[in-house]
Order: sequence, then structure tokens, then C-alpha cells
Amino acid sequence: MAMSESQEFRTRYPGYNVLDKWSSPDWDDQTREVVRHRLEDVPPVRFFTEHEARTLAAICERIVPQPDRDEALKIPIVPWIDEKLYEYKRDGYRYEELPPQRETWRLGLMGIDETSRALFDGKPFVELEPLSQDVVLHHMERGNAPGAVWEKMPASRFFKSVLSIMIVKIYYAHPRAWNEIGYAGPSSPRGHVRKWEGGRDPWEAHEEETDRVEQRGSRRL
Amino acid sequence: MGNELKEEWTLTAPGIHGELVPMRDLSREEVDFCIVGAGAGGGVLGAKLAEAGFSVVILDAGSHWNPVKDFVSDELESRKLFWMDERITGGDDPIELGSNNSGRGVGGSTVHYSMVAMRAHPDDFRRRTLEGEIAGAEIRDWPLTFADLEPYYEEVEEALQIAGPTRYPWGRRRKRYPQREHELNASAQVLVRGCTKLGISVAPAPIATLSAPHKDRPPCVYRGFCNYGCTTNAKSSTLVTYIPRAIRAGAEVRADSMAAQISTDERGHASGVLYFRKDSRELFRQHAKAVVVAGYAVETPRLLLNSASSLFPHGLANSSGLVGKCFMVHSGHQVFAKFHDRINQYKAPPPGGALTEHFNRTMREADFVCGYTIEVVGPHPVDFASRLATARKLWGAQLRRTMLDYNYYSGIGIVGEILPQQKNMVKLHDTERDEYGLPVPHILFGYHENDQRIIQHAIAKMKEIMEAAGGEDVWSADRTAHLLGTCRMGSDPSDSVINADCRAHDVPNLYICDGSVFPTSTAVNPSLTIQAIAARTADRLIK
Repeated sequence: MAMSESQEFRTRYPGYNVLDKWSSPDWDDQTREVVRHRLEDVPPVRFFTEHEARTLAAICERIVPQPDRDEALKIPIVPWIDEKLYEYKRDGYRYEELPPQRETWRLGLMGIDETSRALFDGKPFVELEPLSQDVVLHHMERGNAPGAVWEKMPASRFFKSVLSIMIVKIYYAHPRAWNEIGYAGPSSPRGHVRKWEGGRDPWEAHEEETDRVEQRGSRRL
Repeated sequence: MGNELKEEWTLTAPGIHGELVPMRDLSREEVDFCIVGAGAGGGVLGAKLAEAGFSVVILDAGSHWNPVKDFVSDELESRKLFWMDERITGGDDPIELGSNNSGRGVGGSTVHYSMVAMRAHPDDFRRRTLEGEIAGAEIRDWPLTFADLEPYYEEVEEALQIAGPTRYPWGRRRKRYPQREHELNASAQVLVRGCTKLGISVAPAPIATLSAPHKDRPPCVYRGFCNYGCTTNAKSSTLVTYIPRAIRAGAEVRADSMAAQISTDERGHASGVLYFRKDSRELFRQHAKAVVVAGYAVETPRLLLNSASSLFPHGLANSSGLVGKCFMVHSGHQVFAKFHDRINQYKAPPPGGALTEHFNRTMREADFVCGYTIEVVGPHPVDFASRLATARKLWGAQLRRTMLDYNYYSGIGIVGEILPQQKNMVKLHDTERDEYGLPVPHILFGYHENDQRIIQHAIAKMKEIMEAAGGEDVWSADRTAHLLGTCRMGSDPSDSVINADCRAHDVPNLYICDGSVFPTSTAVNPSLTIQAIAARTADRLIK
């Protein structure tokens, strides 16, 4: 029996919200400001064209799909990649087979459409079914994607070291992602005490079963 | 200190508790020493020289961090701690730079390092004698012996208050560590259990984080953000240890100052450093009687090569042609496995909870020379998900589902020896320039066959250990750590850049004092050795 999409990413920590600790000794002022900015100041798209942004959004939905979230609750990814490129924030290194980052991203998104058109009757990436979009991405990952762009810039390097990793990093830097994986998140100045295997501080994420036991037995911390 | 002296103390610098401390202004003087880089090497050297009465300026390209205000509990935001300027990476096995291995700012890489404070071993200083000639590699004995460095290891361990086990099972007998070992975290318990089952010796790691209060610093509270800057000052980075000592002794630590060139006089002696201040294109000059380059194994050769002049057409101190050559890293491959009990690998200190040097030696039965250390790792979600994406090629629903079990994964990783090779190098890029118009570094790296064999052996052993510990879904990720070589020390001026005292063969008042001086990489974390060399160099200069 196929699972429904909303159950597909069932968290072990349904009652956990890292933001509940906002005013606790786990969050210092500077970290609150960083996370507040991440939650509230989602920047406008200034670097990508509308088509590029739509293409990238479609890619993000394949790399870290969020079918379980309403539009308003989806973790924003495109705006932060756009901001990085708009403000020219660098990574500290660039593979020699790649051009400077702005050019890399523009070329890469162009290349994805080239591959998409070559494989699927001239259709751009955004018009493909999700499974066909995955086929395009798999071709890039394996380095056998058709397209003129990929003769100048290796598709597999772009996919692995630029495109997918950037999307993944931005996704897992968001408190909603921390919630679903039960990550304790910020921990300054309090830190942790119960470091051993199976150990859990009261301010770390509870699991469903543990919760049930504790509701019976003791006050939930 | 007399009040008349204090009148020159017109500057302030961040103290370690958020206060401002007075600092001398030496910008208009010809100082005894201008040190480029306030990290592991530069910090130790600067403090000792200043305490001996020399006038010292330490330049650093990045900020002077205020640990209680500037460091955040967040992976992405901590990018500011790393060297983010453009560098081009290539070769057969191009390495990751940036947040992987390159610090920026006062304290250098010790601000984000994993604090594993290991000594190299007597054999590490005479690999050429022990292993002989190996095709494709340029193994050299060090001009220093273990005995030369031993008192300095001890000195630095005391200054950093290393917390370690009562009895450390490998290497020369040693006196007790200044502080007691830290309690093992879950990931360390996993390593200990796996090793014990397999009969592999294992021990709590000696690490540069306080386990008990020391002076004005509290013990570690196990936040687990060690690689992103310590907000409580438990971590013994040079930022909170040697740098405050240097400033108190009258050194000026000049942050946001990017060295562009070492100037030389008509005799071919170093005369000072030309540098850019942040957000300015104007070139400033610091006059100095001697210059020390301590910028780590990429920026150090870059500065020397960028200092080429008519007297030194191939770069400063480069008559051997070896500046930038024999660039090394460590293989840092990691193995992760999923466990029945919750691990919560972010709790820590994840790096260095426990380690084994059981394989850190040339093993008679192996088809390679040298070896590796296995240590505990504990990536936070952004880093862990990145490993899943790049090493396991997970994306889509599969990635999100695997990440739901993040708290159940535990990881270990190696510090694997890398043999020096001429073809691995840091050179100036032909065309690319940075924001100051300086040629950017172009880094070429590829593994030697011996390196590959070490990695294969290590991955197989790590998988065995994780399985013996009860791990499932065992997988490995490739990675490198540390930046070494490019200005090796030696006694023959045609075959090395500096001598055993870190003095350039070609320029009598130029010194290099960081990871670039290593002739071979060793299979231990390099910071303690860098600091021991710096402590020794200071004593040689003071005499």
C-alpha cells in the first residue's frame, strides 16, 4: 500500500519545535538575530530572471521535495541562492573547470533546459512531470546529460558541487528542518549534559513514544 | 609596566569576555617583528616574542573576534569564520577549501579547529630514513627531531591546558596532561566499543578544551559548536590564549589587514610588509627589522610568490623553486553508521571525543607506508546532509527520509598521512585576481598511490569498527583536512625553503612559522606541532 505523501516524511518528534526554546538559555542574542533574519527577512529575487527562478524552484522541489507542506510553510530556498549571487558571497574556492559563480549558475540553469528539451520533446524543465525532471537531474549527476552547455562545464561537477549541495545546505539550515529531524539547534550558553548513548537532556527533542510514557509518568519538561 | 609606557597604548582590542582591552599602536614604528597571520603559529610566536621584550605587530586579514558576541550557534552564519576569498582548486583530486580547512581572523583556524591536540611521533621526523625512496613522492627527514620539539610540546600543552587521559597509550612516555579527560560522548562511546570488540587500542582524545576552570575561563559545557567558534571561551584557541598574552605584553594585533607583499631592501633583506586595510585600496606599510609569515599553507606561499622583485624574480625565499611545492593535506575520510540508541551526534565536543592511533605506523603486513589516526566526528545537520548528498548521492525524498534518522547516526573519520609530491602545489593563478588585484591561489592536488591505499585500508577498518559497535547502514564519505607543506624546512638550501629555526635560507631576517613548514604530513592533527615549532622558534630568536 502506497503511503500518502504527507506520511512519507513522518517525523519521530511530532511535538518538537526548536523555536519554543527561543527565550531559553539555549539561545543567545546573536543567534536569535540570525534565525530571526532567516525566518522573517526572506529576500526578493534580484539576480535570477523569472524563468531561471521558476526553473530553480522546480529543481529545489526535486532535490528536497516538500509536498507535505502548504505553500506558506515551505522552506524558502531560491531567494537565498539568489541573494548569495546578487551579493556575490563566495565559498572560498571554485573548481577550475567552473567559471565564476554567477556565470556557473546562469549556464547551469540554461544547461538544464537544454537537457530537458533534448530528452523530452523540446519541453523546458518547468513543464516536465516530476519523474521526468528527475531523469534530467540523474543525467546531470551521471555526467551524461545532452546539451551544449555541458561541453563547456561538466554537468556532474555542477550538479554535485554547486547545485544540489547549495539547496541541501539552505534547507537544513532552517528551523522547520531542524524540527523534523529532532536537532537541538542553538545551544549557547547552556550546552548539553547527557552526552552518552541514549542520553537526552530535557531541552532536546522528545520522541513520540517517550512523550507518551512521560505524559503518564512525570511532568513534561 | 610603567605609566609612561602605557601612554602609547592608544588602541583597544576585543578582550575575551566582551570587554575592550588597551593595546599599543606600533603603526609608525619600525618594529622588531612583523608577523603575518594571527593563528596557531603567529599567535604563539607573537606572544613569546612580545613577552621577551621585542616590539611585535601581528597582521591578520580577518576580524578580531569577540567570542561572546560574534560567534553564533548556527552552521551557515559561521561562514564568516572562514577564508571565503576566491581560490581555484584543481588537479586529479581537487580539495574543498573555505569552511573545510581555512580560517580567517584573529585566532586563525584554531577558532574553528577540532582541538585534537596530538604530538607527532619520533618516526614522523625521519620518514625518509625509515621508508627510503618512494617513487613519485619526495619524502624528507625533518631537520628537527622529536627530542628537539618534546619540551615545546609540553610547554604548549601546559599553556593550552590540554585535557587528556591519565595514560596515553601511544608514542613516547609523557607526563600527565594538565587537565583530566572529558567524559566520552555517544559517538566516542561507539568508537570505543567497536575498537574494544576488535582488540584495537583506543583512548579518550587529548583536546584543547578545558575540563576544569582555568584562570578566567570556564570548563566546556558541550555545546557541540566547536567547529563554529566557542562562545564560552572553554576552547583554547589562540584567540583566547596566546593573543591576549601578546597584547598584554605590548604587541599590536592589527586585524582586517591583508598582506599584499613583503618589501625588501637593496641587500635583499626583508624591510616590512605592505598590506591593505579592509574596504580600502590604499597600500599601507609596516616597517620591520624581521618578518614572519604565518598564513598557513596556501596564503604563505601566495604571499612569498606575490613578493617577487628584481632581486627575487621567482618569489621571495624561492631560490630552491620549492615555494608552493609539495602541498599536502590529510585524507579525512569518514564512515557513518546508524545505531539502535540515540546518538545525537551534535552534542560534544564531537570532534575528538576518543581516538585510536593503532594504525598510525608503517604496518609490516600492509601494502603501504605510514598510516592514520581514527577520530570521532559529529557533523551538524547542514554538514551531515551535505555528506549524504555528495558521498551517498542522496537527494529527493530519499534524502529527507534518511535525515529523519539524523540523531541515530554516529561518525568517525581519519587523519591519514599524505606523501609529499612535487606536482601537488599552490601557485599563482595566471589570470584571476582578487578584489585587491592580487593573483589568487591556484591549488593542485592529487593522491599518491600510497595515499589511496591508506584510505582504502582506513575505510575498511572504520566500517569494521562501526559494524562491531552495532552499526547498520554503514557508509563512507571522502574528505580532506588541514593544509600543509609548500615551504618545507630542511638543512640543504637547494632542497628546502627554511632551516630548522624557520629562517628562510635566502633571506636572513625572514621566517615562516605555520603548517607550510612540514616536510611530511604526519598522521596526527597538525596544530600542536605547529604551535610547538612556533614556541621553539621564539626561543631560538630570543637567544
